[in-house]
Amino acid sequence: MSLNVRSLTAALLRRRAGAVLVALQVAIALAIMVNAVYIVHQRVTWIRRPTGIDVAYLFVISSSSLTGGFDARAAVEQDLAYIRSLPDVISATATNSVPFSLGGNIGVWLRPGHQGREFNPSYLIMDSAGLGTLGAHLLAGRNFKPEEIRPPDTADDLGDSVAELIVTRAFARILFPNTSAVGKVVYFENGRPATIVGVTDDLHIARASAPAGDSMAIFPSLPSATAAIDYLVRTGPGERDAVMRDAARHLADSNPDRVINWARPLTFFKWHADAENRNMAICLTVITALLLAITCLGIFGLVTFNVSSRTKQIGTMRAVGARRRDVVAHFMVENAIVLSAGVLFGCTLALAVGYWLSLRYALPRLDLYYLVGGVVALWVIGQLAAWHPARRAASVPPSVATRTA
Amino acid sequence: MRIGYYLRLALKSLARTPGLTGLMMCAIGLGIAACIVMLTIYHAMSGNPIWWKNNVLYAVTMDSWSPGEPFDSDRPTLPPPQLNYRDATYLFQSTLAKRKAIMYPIKGVVSGAPDQRHPAPVLTRATTADFFAMFDVPFEYGGAWDAAADRTPGPVVVISREENDRLFGGADSVGRTILWNGHPFRIVGVMGGWWPKPRFYDVINGAFDKPEDVYVPFGWGPALQQLPVGMVACWSDESRSTYTAFLGSECNWIQMWVELPNAASRNRMLALMNAYAVSQRKSGRFQRPLNNRLTRVGEWLTEQGVVTNDSRLLLRLAFAFLAVSLINTAGILLAKFLRAAPTAGVRRALGATRAQIFLQHLIEVAALSLAGSALGLALGALGLRAMHWLYAINTVDNSGYQELTHFDPAGLAWALALAFLSTFAAGLYPAWRIGRMPPASYLKSQ
Repeated sequence: MSLNVRSLTAALLRRRAGAVLVALQVAIALAIMVNAVYIVHQRVTWIRRPTGIDVAYLFVISSSSLTGGFDARAAVEQDLAYIRSLPDVISATATNSVPFSLGGNIGVWLRPGHQGREFNPSYLIMDSAGLGTLGAHLLAGRNFKPEEIRPPDTADDLGDSVAELIVTRAFARILFPNTSAVGKVVYFENGRPATIVGVTDDLHIARASAPAGDSMAIFPSLPSATAAIDYLVRTGPGERDAVMRDAARHLADSNPDRVINWARPLTFFKWHADAENRNMAICLTVITALLLAITCLGIFGLVTFNVSSRTKQIGTMRAVGARRRDVVAHFMVENAIVLSAGVLFGCTLALAVGYWLSLRYALPRLDLYYLVGGVVALWVIGQLAAWHPARRAASVPPSVATRTA
Repeated sequence: MRIGYYLRLALKSLARTPGLTGLMMCAIGLGIAACIVMLTIYHAMSGNPIWWKNNVLYAVTMDSWSPGEPFDSDRPTLPPPQLNYRDATYLFQSTLAKRKAIMYPIKGVVSGAPDQRHPAPVLTRATTADFFAMFDVPFEYGGAWDAAADRTPGPVVVISREENDRLFGGADSVGRTILWNGHPFRIVGVMGGWWPKPRFYDVINGAFDKPEDVYVPFGWGPALQQLPVGMVACWSDESRSTYTAFLGSECNWIQMWVELPNAASRNRMLALMNAYAVSQRKSGRFQRPLNNRLTRVGEWLTEQGVVTNDSRLLLRLAFAFLAVSLINTAGILLAKFLRAAPTAGVRRALGATRAQIFLQHLIEVAALSLAGSALGLALGALGLRAMHWLYAINTVDNSGYQELTHFDPAGLAWALALAFLSTFAAGLYPAWRIGRMPPASYLKSQ
């Protein structure tokens, strides 16, 4: 009994409504799954990109001044002296905002007087222990010298106080694409200059939605009391939580002019910075899995039903000489034709959806590897779903052909 | 009308293929559950929590930004969402609006309450007296301060219900004194429960954050020389090394809302804003083209992009998922009905009309729709709990995304309608097909 694909197709076309519905289902499922998996991959890649700092060893203690005439400099010096004296603390610094929740950016120019293009890096204020505390690697130049660390600024206007800065590699490349950035001068909003003294490896610690992207600058200054003063502390492995609790408790009582807002490990902030992307990835994965399950079960159910509806036809086939495996092949090929039609249409749909997504949501265009992978996966799964009912069809005895309906 | 009879037939038919019926119900249920979850969240995100005042509340914005570039290069037609100190205080002096409020978030520490061991940081908003009446803020005890306290500024404070629970165990604390940032303040009002979602009056600094716990008169920031803690956007190159310089600078950090009861007052307000901008041009300010606006809450929420792209995408995905489920169901129903064609043929031969066959199968579709919808609603409720949990573990203290997952009655009605109608529509084609079968071909023995 030879398989005639053409006759099978003709038979399918005669009762095409059912086949069309299955093909349509497969097509839409393919379009959704391919794009969903692509987006999940993008989000996961974003979450897992290296931060450039040693997140696991760091915690943050946030404090706020209670009174108006708060002496931020004295308080910071006293607090840092205490923290650094603790046996398990490797390094500590005081800063104005916490990595992964940096919201601000600052304007710098390459020429004085607002001339030329404005750059808007995110920024961090730290003292000379800052880089070591973060675990950031210096690629060129040097760290800040103690005398370059400026006292806290009352009105939070950096441009009036600092004269040096350290930039990340990405930002250095944007500012000075062909030469080393070390020793070059940039200008603040008020026209005052600052010299780049060092370049670090890339730091991905701004907020995900920050417009600056990977451009980041580090300024040598003590934080002012206008916002919170955050202490960034680095401990050895395993000691972070104990040191954090004890330090926070001591600091809460050591200075009546200020209050400790909270003490948290830096992983807390990384976790929440990734929240939106992680939620999206989880939702997409769940929906894709459910979609696959429904499509699969749908094909299984439909083929099972078709087999049980066509027992007379199967019996007749066997009676005129078809072997068991010919019956299996009959149903598998029939399923394959429908799947192929669905997958073909689904490819066009997937590309169209991918294109629309890239336009509407400013995502990169769909990578064809995902399409090919999706096609193969869906086709194979669809065939596997039909395998069991097809096998069941093969056990229909030829005597069924002789019985009346 | 033989609805009861058809219903019995339908139930028997559904029970005859329990696996397929179960599969269809699950597919429909999951598709509808996905739509319910995403619709609830989307609806909560995009809703206007003060819709009854949508025609009278306006956000005041003026484009005093740099002449060289727009405030937001992605949306160049929009003025900056906040005002600077000079412009806000000037506009606030006008008496054109029925109610007006200027505001900004500020750092605060509360102490001096009974049984309070440590001073506690509090989210504070500095605003003016009309804020509470304008936004229909409920009060449990007392009320807002009066306009005189705005001017001085008076040492008066309004606290939230949660803060009152924390400090005074929920008792009537009106008239008592607490220390805010080290200064004594008298409590004049305790709010009732209030958490508009989104936080329409300040979508810039956390659109779904919980409202602040402490409210003080606007002038306390300048009085204590405290900088705002929300978004501060500056563009000009003047020095801001002193607080006074900061107040006079081109830094935008104040949001302003007005209540204008009719079109006439609205036009007058706009005319005032434009006249002010033009007069400021003489001193070199407002060099950008005139772009002063009064924006209603509904449009404001859209303009400021409160609904995330991700939630829009997930909503579309949910509908596509439902479509696949429905196509799945339609395919299975078609196969089932066509297999039962001989029985339908016998019925036709015995005198049933096409319409009756159609109706009989439609009842079966309806029964399936009902069952699938019920399952979908149950799964949807489960899904919302799961989303609530997902948001809760993912968000920081006062950010309120998990509040979006509450099932609201309007949403429930829409969900029911969607569930039933969509499933019903999926079954229409198979039922129609079986009605059109010519009976003769099925009456012959095979």
